[in-house]
Amino acid sequence: MRLFKPEVEAQRFWNPYTQTMPRAELDGLHLRKLQTLIQYAYHRSPMYRGLLDRHKVRPEQIRTMDDFVKRLPFIDKKDVLEAQATSPPFGDAQAIPEDFFLQRFATSGSTGVPLHIPLTYYSSVLWGESWLYILWGIGLRPRHSFYFPFHWGIFAAFWSAYMGVRRLGGTVVSGGGLDSKARIQQILQYRPDAIFGTPTYMLYLGEVAREMGVDLRKTSVSYVLVAGEPGGSIPSTRQAMEETWGAKAYELYGIAELGPTNPGCPMQGGVHLCEEWYHALVVDEAGNPVPYGEVGEHIVTSYIQHGQPLIKYRSHDLVRWTDEPCGCGTSWLYYPGGVLGRTDHMIIIKGVNVYPSAVEALLHKVAGLSEHYELHVGREAANDFVTVKVEARPETPAERYGALKGEAEGVLKSMIGVTIGVEVQAPGTLPRYELKAKRFFDHRPPEHRWQLAARTGG
Amino acid sequence: MTREETLERLRELQRQVRALREETDIPAIERTMQLLDMYCHMARWELGDLEAMIPEAEAT
Repeated sequence: MRLFKPEVEAQRFWNPYTQTMPRAELDGLHLRKLQTLIQYAYHRSPMYRGLLDRHKVRPEQIRTMDDFVKRLPFIDKKDVLEAQATSPPFGDAQAIPEDFFLQRFATSGSTGVPLHIPLTYYSSVLWGESWLYILWGIGLRPRHSFYFPFHWGIFAAFWSAYMGVRRLGGTVVSGGGLDSKARIQQILQYRPDAIFGTPTYMLYLGEVAREMGVDLRKTSVSYVLVAGEPGGSIPSTRQAMEETWGAKAYELYGIAELGPTNPGCPMQGGVHLCEEWYHALVVDEAGNPVPYGEVGEHIVTSYIQHGQPLIKYRSHDLVRWTDEPCGCGTSWLYYPGGVLGRTDHMIIIKGVNVYPSAVEALLHKVAGLSEHYELHVGREAANDFVTVKVEARPETPAERYGALKGEAEGVLKSMIGVTIGVEVQAPGTLPRYELKAKRFFDHRPPEHRWQLAARTGG
Repeated sequence: MTREETLERLRELQRQVRALREETDIPAIERTMQLLDMYCHMARWELGDLEAMIPEAEAT
């Protein structure tokens, strides 16, 4: 007995109909989906009715993609928080009766008040579906088992991946409620084929395993599936994970409020926009779409947040988009390198934009440095300055730290073109994280924290 | 099977599911029909056949 017919199991794409659809046809389909969504949101979400009314836009006026781009306003997290505050937890952002809600999530609120995220049963199925394009694309099938070293809390985190494995029909092995050592014992016991986690935690499990005398390369894990922070599309970080686990590493980029927006490309160099369930624009400081090949802020529309629709939502993530084929065969838009940084983490040194992901990628080129680092940004005279604190690898003798510092500073200077200070520290001196690592520390005065210009109008 | 043939069978299936959902008085059957309706809607959407965001919005 098997879940899929052999000829179906051999299919390369989960849904070849949309994954290989020509661009013009795909854009036409997007327009119809957007029009359906805008009608839905306007008539069901007081937040959207108010927003469109304030901008004097009626849903039926969105007749072309140009109308969508130019007439419809952006929305930001603070707008949703304000709408939720009218009657917590969901307030005016809610579009459907709570009878339909399956689960509630919230953001950490590290920048203020937590954002509440309602998920209907249907949305949960579609969050899971959004993982299938990468899971299926890299050859994972119902016969495979998936390990979740995850605490199943209020943060969306890897819940969507769990929904994806359920949708696939794979086997879930839960590492909830356990510490890292117990999880490694479970991996040895249950022999999962794949593991989910942040890049930081996947590398940390490698450290713990080494302390336990366990070689993760000899375990059953053949696939490392990462999300939650950049890394899977940064070659050196991906290589470190692959060497630690003796497995292939793949990425999915998601946004808690929206879900799994961008499944990784099976070719591993970046992520695709999940054009089945999401639409995106990449825009400059003025809010105008940048040409393909350029970097800008990722503006995302979800077709699947039925409980709390989000249209032209500002992610504050910086990506480079392209319609050039990546080689995997899909026509879905491609973001080489995945997420490049945050609009609120922009560093400008002597006129040069410095992306944290570029610093991370270059640090890994220096043999003797580990993947554990922090980026501290300050302000002096008229310029930002950056200091990188990075741990040496355990096998690196302390007397080499000075030479490593010089080598790392040289690599950063030659590749980025500006001076970035490096402090090499002993192993274990920087904190470890299970979910998102905090790597960016901004010590600049608020008026010098660069952001893409605020925009709310169409 | 062509896309159009697949869609025609999905729409017919959904009509039957909705009829049974309306007529049953057994909670377990009504819930199952709700979910089948949802999956029919999802399959149609995946083939580009859009009517409404959610099945409940199609019905009202």
